[in-house]
Amino acid sequence: MENRPRLELRRVSKVYESAGQKLEALRDVSLCLEAGTVTALLGRSGCGKTTLLNLAGAMDLPSSGEVLIDGRPTCGLTDAELTAVRRKRIGFVFQFFQLLPTLSVLENVELPLLLAGVTTAASEARNRLRWVGLEDKFQAMPHQLSGGQMQRVAIARALVHSPDILIADEPTGNLDTASGEQVLGLLADSAARFGAAVLIATHSAEAARIAQVRVRMRDGRIEEMERS
Amino acid sequence: MIAYARLLRSFILRPLRRDTVRTLLTVLSLALGVGVVVAIDLAGDAAAGSFSSSLETLLGKVDLQITATGGVDERWMGELSGLPLNISLVPVVETLATVDGIGEVELFGLDLVSGVARENGTDLSGDPDDALVVSAALARRLGVDRGDRLRLTIGDTRREFPVVALVNAKDAEFLALDIAAAQKAVKRFGRIDRVDVLMTEGENLTAVEAAIGNLLPASYTVERPGTRREENQRMLRAFRTNLRVLSFISLVVGAFLIYNTIAVSVVRRRAEIGILRALGTGRQRILWLFLGEALLLGLAGSLLGVGLGRMLAEAAVALIAQTVNALYVSSRPAPIALDLYTALAGIFAGVGVALASAWAPAREATQVFPSEAMGRGAHESAARLAWKRKLLAAVLLALAAVAAAQAGPIGGRPLLGYASALLSVASAALAAPALVLAISRFTRTAARKLAGVEGLLAVRGWTASLPRTSINVAALATAIAMMASVAIMVSSFRETVLVWLDYQLRADLYVRPAGRSGTLAPEVIPQIASTRGVEAVDVFHATEFRFRGERATLGAGDLEIVRRYGRLLFLEGDRDHILSSLRGQDRAIISEPFANRHAIATGDRITLPLGARNVEVTVAGVYYEYSSERGFVILDRSTLLRYLPAQPPTNLAIYLNPEADATAVKREIQRKTAGKRIVVAENQALRRNAVRIFDRTFAITYALEGVAIVVAVLGAASSLLALAIDRRRELAVLRFLGASAEQIRRMVLLEAGLLGLAANLLGLALGFALSLLLIYVVNKQSFGWTIQFHAPPGLLLGALGAVCLATVLAGLYPARVASRMPAIEAVHED
Repeated sequence: MENRPRLELRRVSKVYESAGQKLEALRDVSLCLEAGTVTALLGRSGCGKTTLLNLAGAMDLPSSGEVLIDGRPTCGLTDAELTAVRRKRIGFVFQFFQLLPTLSVLENVELPLLLAGVTTAASEARNRLRWVGLEDKFQAMPHQLSGGQMQRVAIARALVHSPDILIADEPTGNLDTASGEQVLGLLADSAARFGAAVLIATHSAEAARIAQVRVRMRDGRIEEMERS
Repeated sequence: MIAYARLLRSFILRPLRRDTVRTLLTVLSLALGVGVVVAIDLAGDAAAGSFSSSLETLLGKVDLQITATGGVDERWMGELSGLPLNISLVPVVETLATVDGIGEVELFGLDLVSGVARENGTDLSGDPDDALVVSAALARRLGVDRGDRLRLTIGDTRREFPVVALVNAKDAEFLALDIAAAQKAVKRFGRIDRVDVLMTEGENLTAVEAAIGNLLPASYTVERPGTRREENQRMLRAFRTNLRVLSFISLVVGAFLIYNTIAVSVVRRRAEIGILRALGTGRQRILWLFLGEALLLGLAGSLLGVGLGRMLAEAAVALIAQTVNALYVSSRPAPIALDLYTALAGIFAGVGVALASAWAPAREATQVFPSEAMGRGAHESAARLAWKRKLLAAVLLALAAVAAAQAGPIGGRPLLGYASALLSVASAALAAPALVLAISRFTRTAARKLAGVEGLLAVRGWTASLPRTSINVAALATAIAMMASVAIMVSSFRETVLVWLDYQLRADLYVRPAGRSGTLAPEVIPQIASTRGVEAVDVFHATEFRFRGERATLGAGDLEIVRRYGRLLFLEGDRDHILSSLRGQDRAIISEPFANRHAIATGDRITLPLGARNVEVTVAGVYYEYSSERGFVILDRSTLLRYLPAQPPTNLAIYLNPEADATAVKREIQRKTAGKRIVVAENQALRRNAVRIFDRTFAITYALEGVAIVVAVLGAASSLLALAIDRRRELAVLRFLGASAEQIRRMVLLEAGLLGLAANLLGLALGFALSLLLIYVVNKQSFGWTIQFHAPPGLLLGALGAVCLATVLAGLYPARVASRMPAIEAVHED
């Protein structure tokens, strides 16, 4: 049980249908993410990175194959069960931060715990914000923060409920170099410190450098996988 | 032009088609608004349009009419016939007869009945007094024919008449008796109600008018028949204007919704507008694109609304006609006629409102810079900062509203009162953002405690789109305010009338003839006065008269009895002193509406046309009165009979000994007067009837408010849907963060509840202000009534609760849409 992968994709394919046309976004992809590791998904736009992230984050279901989160397949789960999986096991970081503009920094970070009905959300949220270095911004509103600060809040939010898997979609895509490095440092640290399996979709070479596993994708397939 | 059409199709029409439900809701809201305006216009025309004389269809065009207070003395017929003029004179007695099964019908006494009967081949030599002529339309409705007998109640008499002839008079419904028979039936011996003058060709109308005027006493009125119809229309003007203004409420609410739809359209397409601008599209074209959207919505709503209005008018005409009959003058509703003018007016109103309300957001769209890829958050954030400026503007508009309310009427109409109401609505709309922020701030902790994370998200979420949330609140608040203000006004009026009835109706029994416009036979008075248990009988005479070109009621009673037993309320002065001063004197008391209408005060001298004389009387006091807008002038009976000795009584007020049983005395009077068609009513029954008439009169206002609320709730549904669609990215993020579909649904429903709460608060405040305007400015200036303020807490709470519930129910569909939105696409839209 200890060595069970946090996330496993077994021969996963995803086909979208639009106006009678079939589009195969993922083809026969198999991947395994261990706890405490960072995996980088590399490749051009449209190669299937985001589709893979959505399947890994229990936001979507594969057309064929299996996605196992902590050993449990997502296929056959109801919408409510998929929601429960996301609440407990998944954290998301987006390219455009996606903080709710009407909530304070602290409330944004509390949100995943509040949605899960946890009553001690505030103290957990404060801890995570201290960890990302924003202990002086609890009551600030998102529009009062810089891009780097917003992404750090997003990382604190993604980790507040101690998820098994942290999914980041182009987390540095909208940041300057210094902020990007700071964010990448936090993502690497989150794997080491909290034992999360971190999956990053990125174009950035810097992001790739912090990963222990680099997966290069092309036309919906894994073209190359490299471990360091 | 072709390029514009293409752009309109891809940029405006496609999104409208995509958001079918929202588009339909907006169109339907506007259609209801336009529909109500058209319906009230059509129904008002139909209810007021039936005053034209039924006789004209029989006699042909009447050129002049001669009337006098108390009736025209018959002897003038001879004098008039002697004038060297080429004219025909038709003496007319006019009354209402009650026909079993269908109610009251116009009955004319004419000396041409014999002629008509002869033309129909009927020999009247046997019993000419009974000969009844029936118009063909009425005969059809009654199912009677020549040779049948018809039972009629005229005044206090009920008897059968043989139908001797049917006359074709288009769709006019009336009965005609020989003039002598009619005089006998209404007990107006020696007097006729009017003389119709028909000129032969070649005569000069002005010359004829002058010749007749010179011959007759100055107190007689010689007028062209159109005057009476115009007078009726003028009399109804205030009533119809107020109804028309009320009917525009739904359209005003619709205007907010169009504004909202276009504003959402602009905000959602800021990026696209930026791209269009970058590709070389000019500001004017952007402006016209969004005005084009409003035009399309306006046209669709208006066309649908005109059809809807035609249907609604059928229901409205019955309600309006009841009011006209109860408060003004006896009329029969004319058929509803939707003409091109009314249809076009409705379409122009709808399209005009749509374009005017779309102007501001469309203009805002032209301010988008080509380089701008401004996100909603930043734009909304900027808009949030504007709340202080808007609040200041709201205060200034409120002050302007107060100032406008102080001004007097213009041309007899409370135009500045209406302006004040509009300024108040605008002020409330501008105060809405501040209220939304305040509610969000004060309910933050409570919402989170009571409703958990959904409460937190709802309270914060609905301020995220502050401008649009504020418009929703303003739209719903306007409808609620109208409802609350009219409810307060009607309740105040009702309470005032109830108190007034308590003062006015002090007698134990009231007697009137069974027929509506009849008189009482003088012999019943001693019969009643001598009945055991009767202490005093106030004999009252009422007749119509003309004062300064307008009709009013001249009444006379035994004012000493009124002083002893009654509790008549005067605006000022000592009641006993005023009433005692009238006996045998040329003094009168007048009702408040009469005083206001003609700007007369206590101590003024007024001229009354009494029979052949113009008599100058002094106004001894002004009393509160709520039964007629036309107004009353009351003399002591001794004074009236001095000038009009033959004037028959119309009503009796009977005061009983304290130990007498009203029901037993009533039965005894009925026994004694058996054979006379009189109605004896007990005090309580009369009061109940008065309140029933009052409630029926205001049924139409409640119906109008109901439509305004429906429009606002439809708008709330449309707006919540727009908010849900517009916030799809945030909702998607929540789904990523672990929110269940149920949580999203609850959040949207809570937002709907907050919308209802804010609208109720703002609506109540605005409604209170508007009710003060209605009571103390609009009503006072339109009708001349003083109304005591009285708010109905139960009714208001019930209505507001219902609105809150309706708003939450209106949120069900948007909540369902929000919970089912595809999260993946939405979160990657940026």
